[in-house]
Amino acid sequence: MSLTRAIAIAGFLVAIVACAVVEVLARRRDSTIPTLGEVCAHAIAYEVGRVPVGRIGFFGFWWWLGWHLFAR
Amino acid sequence: MEELELATTDAPPHWDRAVVTLPVLGFLSLIGGQLPSYSTRANVYTICVGGAMLWLGLTGKVRRPLPGRLGPGTTWWLLPIGIFGVFEGSTFLLGSTPDFPTFSRLADPLLEDELLRTAGYFVWLSSFWALVRR
Repeated sequence: MSLTRAIAIAGFLVAIVACAVVEVLARRRDSTIPTLGEVCAHAIAYEVGRVPVGRIGFFGFWWWLGWHLFAR
Repeated sequence: MEELELATTDAPPHWDRAVVTLPVLGFLSLIGGQLPSYSTRANVYTICVGGAMLWLGLTGKVRRPLPGRLGPGTTWWLLPIGIFGVFEGSTFLLGSTPDFPTFSRLADPLLEDELLRTAGYFVWLSSFWALVRR
């Protein structure tokens, strides 16, 4: 395995672990950090006029991600 | 109209319970996990299942009320998102080669195993469902 590949794998693992750590911190009593679900809820609710930009963006991206990983 | 919208968000459908949705998502994942990549069946199935989720999300049939305001600690989420973005962006710009693999390139060999593929499909579908309910 090349060094650059190892660094890339380590980087993705660090990001996943950091995500888990922040989520655990968010679930503590009286935490000022919102959970990932709460952050997503606010981002999804974003609208421009009457256009649900957040919903279209999030759902469209997640749809594409599933197709990218499991179909293409 | 506003009262109708409130009623819609306050009263989720009677079938919107974990005891109903988890087995359904599991069954859908079992099917999706058996379909090989690059096949027509996998493309049609993933597009149909994802399209159904998208439709449910945009119609707001299972939407929950928005939680309270975000706290000052929201910026902590920029840390994992930023780290992931830096590595995904740089490996993508470097061509997503074996020496500079993107996340999906690393996941591809793992997803060739049917069990892991089914588990991955379940993670994708259940998180899609969680987003749709937000």
